[in-house]
Amino acid sequence: MTDIARPDEPVAAVAAVNAVEASSGAPKRTGRAKETARKILVWIPLILLVVWTVTPFLVTLSVSFKQRAEVFADPGLIPSNPTFDAYGEVLASDSFTTSFVNSLIVGGGTTALSILIGVPAAYAFARFRFRGRHLLLLFTLLPRLVPSLGLMVPIYRLAVVAGLLDKRITLIIVYTAMLLPLAVWLMVGFFQQIPREIEEAASVDGASLWGRLRYIVAPLAAPAMITIGVLAFREAWNEFTLVLVLTNTPGKRTLPFELYLMQGIEGIANFPGEAAFTILTILPFILVYTRIEKYVVAGLVTGSGK
Amino acid sequence: MTATTASKSKRNGARWWQRSAPPPGRDNTAVIGQSKSTPYLFTLPAILLVAAVLGFPVLYGVFQSLFRAPSLGAPVEWVSFENYADMFSSDDFWHSLNKTAVFVFGSLIVGTVLGLFFAFALFRVLGRLRFLRAVTVAPYIISNVAAAVMFRILFNSQFGTVNRVIEFFGLDGPSWLAKPGLAMLVVIFTQVWTDLPLTILLLLGGLMTIDQAHLDAALVDGADGWTRARHITIPLLAPQLLISTVWLSYSTLTGLGVVLALTGGGPLKATQTMAMEMYSVAFRSLEFNRALAIATFILIVNALLTLGYVGIGRRFEYDQ
Repeated sequence: MTDIARPDEPVAAVAAVNAVEASSGAPKRTGRAKETARKILVWIPLILLVVWTVTPFLVTLSVSFKQRAEVFADPGLIPSNPTFDAYGEVLASDSFTTSFVNSLIVGGGTTALSILIGVPAAYAFARFRFRGRHLLLLFTLLPRLVPSLGLMVPIYRLAVVAGLLDKRITLIIVYTAMLLPLAVWLMVGFFQQIPREIEEAASVDGASLWGRLRYIVAPLAAPAMITIGVLAFREAWNEFTLVLVLTNTPGKRTLPFELYLMQGIEGIANFPGEAAFTILTILPFILVYTRIEKYVVAGLVTGSGK
Repeated sequence: MTATTASKSKRNGARWWQRSAPPPGRDNTAVIGQSKSTPYLFTLPAILLVAAVLGFPVLYGVFQSLFRAPSLGAPVEWVSFENYADMFSSDDFWHSLNKTAVFVFGSLIVGTVLGLFFAFALFRVLGRLRFLRAVTVAPYIISNVAAAVMFRILFNSQFGTVNRVIEFFGLDGPSWLAKPGLAMLVVIFTQVWTDLPLTILLLLGGLMTIDQAHLDAALVDGADGWTRARHITIPLLAPQLLISTVWLSYSTLTGLGVVLALTGGGPLKATQTMAMEMYSVAFRSLEFNRALAIATFILIVNALLTLGYVGIGRRFEYDQ
């Protein structure tokens, strides 16, 4: 994803506006007032955008610093007696710690496996000519259209028969497969942009296929691989519908599943607990967000299958 | 010259899966150092994994929807389309179809309107504020369950911020998640909140490809902002609107996470979409084969809707 540069054309548009206004004989001062009014009008939707996106986060953050009893008595955004009780409670609970570790392992595994399998496949599709190439690429990309809802029952039934329930490796394999069509699609486009001549030159100088992959292709493809890694980790970290059916024992679940269970288990809703759990679930992303954001955007835009 | 023309016309006549025939005059048949089996060694793991985890289970699911266990735990028997017949004669199914229509089209309308609004707003300040782009994308990194928790706090009848704002204006805030009509509204807003980043980015990308000359011409002709948006920008955005519509529709039709974590289909089944219905039939009633019939139906509806959107999109596209 290249950075978005503002096109020069709007300058022309502004010039045209000024020309139209000048020709209609409007006094200059009205024009300037209009300009100011327009500038304010530009900002109102942007402020609404920030409010729309950020409010749910802020409200959750606020509730997470309150006492259970206080939530109802003190509904203000800034807690009057901020406390870390909810965080302490969540961090001390097995449901959080084990699912956090599970999510880390499944996320790391999915990331590694997606890159390990997806990158060579994409390289082959982009560089090599071989029989059945287009059909095989189609077979790899088309399952992208399969919703996880359609997989829930069949995968559950197959996992029961194969004895693969409650295993992290099952989740890793399933999430990797769900990510592969996107990863291959993204990387094929990327590899096609790397000039073939670079590799041919290296080849003439005696570099083997492995040497070229290791010293030329991999460094050039690093940004695209990071994108895939971020998307893979995000998928594994957030996925809910399949982990819901593929695990059913405490200690085997990932974070979204435990958060889902937290809502129902206690008779009275523990809002600060849920809020703290939510915040802690997002925290790893928030910490590195400014660094990964551009990769997320790149993956998001490519992933829409344009 | 004639050879080039011949090869060109042949390429134009070729079917789409043959389209990248090697260009003439250049040997693209192999990368130096490539052996015959290398491409297959590289691609096979990916193909096998995708086929085993995505391709096979879906086909297996469609096939299994033609079977049924006479009693719980008994081996399944071939019943042809009986599961589908039962599905179409069940009130619960029609109820969920109804709710799905509200959910899908409600999310489409809210999502497209908000997406356009925010995309236009961002387009005005393009390139100057990376911060805004980061904010826009933030909901994408949140799981559906986390979004549901956030919105349940936001819309809580006693301490939720939404009701606090309503009370500020001297009105009584409703109990959003306890009233059937309002619960669906909250579900729609939560779903749109999670899906909006992609819609905004898609539409923003579309806006950036629009040739400014069209707008300048209209401006000189004296068209006001709304007229320009209505008659020039939005028709030129048709391709991006189509993609975002297909995506939003797919994501809501097959989306389970938000509904399950936010309302679980309640209150009084007011948010029992087809996805929820499939989940309940499968994992609460344990009638897996009946659930597979519903899942297959959802896949078919999704395909038909996509074709429908493409058809409508074609009609609105500009002939350039």
